[in-house]
Amino acid sequence: MTETLLDIAMMHSDTLITRAKQGDKNAQGKLVQLWYKRIYNFSYKFFLDHDMAMEAAQKTFISMCRNIEGLQDIARFKSWIYKIAVNYCREEARKTKNSRWVPFDKIVNVEAEESPRWEGSSVRYDNPEKQFQQMELSDILQKSLMELSVEQREVVIMKEFEGLKFREIAEVLNISENTVKSRMYYGLDGLKRILEKKNITKETINYEL
Amino acid sequence: MSYKPDESVLMAYLYDELSGEQKVLMEKYILENPSVMKEIESLQHLRTMLTSVTDKEVIAPPIVMSDSNQRFFWNTLPMAIGIKTILGIAASLLLLMIAGKIMDVEIGYHDNQVSFSFGEPTERSQKLAEANLTAEQVQQMINSSMLENNKIVKAGLLESQQKIDASISKNLALNSIKINKLVQQASQASQSEIRQFVAGLQNQNQQLVKDYFQLSTSDQQKYIEGLLIDFSKYLQQQHNNDLETLQTRLTGIEQNTTLFKQETEQILSSIISNGTTSNRNKNY
Repeated sequence: MTETLLDIAMMHSDTLITRAKQGDKNAQGKLVQLWYKRIYNFSYKFFLDHDMAMEAAQKTFISMCRNIEGLQDIARFKSWIYKIAVNYCREEARKTKNSRWVPFDKIVNVEAEESPRWEGSSVRYDNPEKQFQQMELSDILQKSLMELSVEQREVVIMKEFEGLKFREIAEVLNISENTVKSRMYYGLDGLKRILEKKNITKETINYEL
Repeated sequence: MSYKPDESVLMAYLYDELSGEQKVLMEKYILENPSVMKEIESLQHLRTMLTSVTDKEVIAPPIVMSDSNQRFFWNTLPMAIGIKTILGIAASLLLLMIAGKIMDVEIGYHDNQVSFSFGEPTERSQKLAEANLTAEQVQQMINSSMLENNKIVKAGLLESQQKIDASISKNLALNSIKINKLVQQASQASQSEIRQFVAGLQNQNQQLVKDYFQLSTSDQQKYIEGLLIDFSKYLQQQHNNDLETLQTRLTGIEQNTTLFKQETEQILSSIISNGTTSNRNKNY
């Protein structure tokens, strides 16, 4: 059901893109609404930081609105917008690489870390313990993702979470498809090792789940 | 063992992006190699684990784009911005020059002086010619002018002196006549006025004295009359008082006599009664 709805939305987005390309501000606004969540979540997984993800996403959409008239192929909109997003993510990462700082509002509170975040949960499960484990696993996986190199991380996020095809990723990163696949392989392999190091393997997860 | 897929094929197989022929080859290879199967299984497990990473909900902030179509032709080129300022300066300079031409402004520099004039400067040459006179000439000119000036001043002074003298003599004559007249008038007036005044005074005094005497005599009369009346009243009062005392004395005497009468009567009656009693006693 959600898939079909998504498909309809994507079909709708094609007409939106053509209208936005012609300079329709309303269509551009709707396009932002449609794609914001995806681009934000891509940036969030890239940085694991809300503010930086917001920054990158906003810059991406400002750039999109400015340059959409120059978009040649509507079918390539997806790879085009991810290309912009990747560029801004890299730029942001480069900016903050030199200045490492700890924000005041993110002081690690051990008690809060260990307690389940009821308010923050959007999806409710029957079993609270299961939900908590799910959240914990999600956190661990995202932190493990951050341990990958930027090149591998980009590819893994785009492939695994954003559902881009290898061809599209190659277009986004301007590299060959084989290189993408190779980065994906090493990315997954690296992730597997990181998780093993954290004692999260097939067996422990099965036991816990 | 002729077919050996590399990691890119493995990845394509894992994400189901292999074409039909390659897929069949790969599946066959996996069946033949349990280690590859194991690897693929572990990767698939990793993928299922990764599905637990949830998307964060986010609300898209409003992105307002300014209307970029409203651009003038000189804003379109980045190079034109520099040209725009230069053109602006040039236009203002041209405007200044035209204004100068219309108003005929001349700016000149002579002998450490900057002159700023509307039209041709004219007075400069004459002034310079006059400046060539020598000091003696200037002195002579000053002297002559001073002499002339003195003469004029003297003449003026004499004239004014004469005028003043004439006016003073005139005024003096007029004033003396007026004063004489006034004095005569005053003397005449004073004699008659004094007489009148004295007569008036005498009359007033006479009247005052008369009035005084009249007033005093009438007052004395009134006083004496009052005094006589008071005295007569006093005498009458005295008389009345004497009469009253006499009357009281008389009544007092009357009362005394009646008392005496009564006493004598009583005494008599008692003597009589006593006489009778004694007689009775004698009878016992």
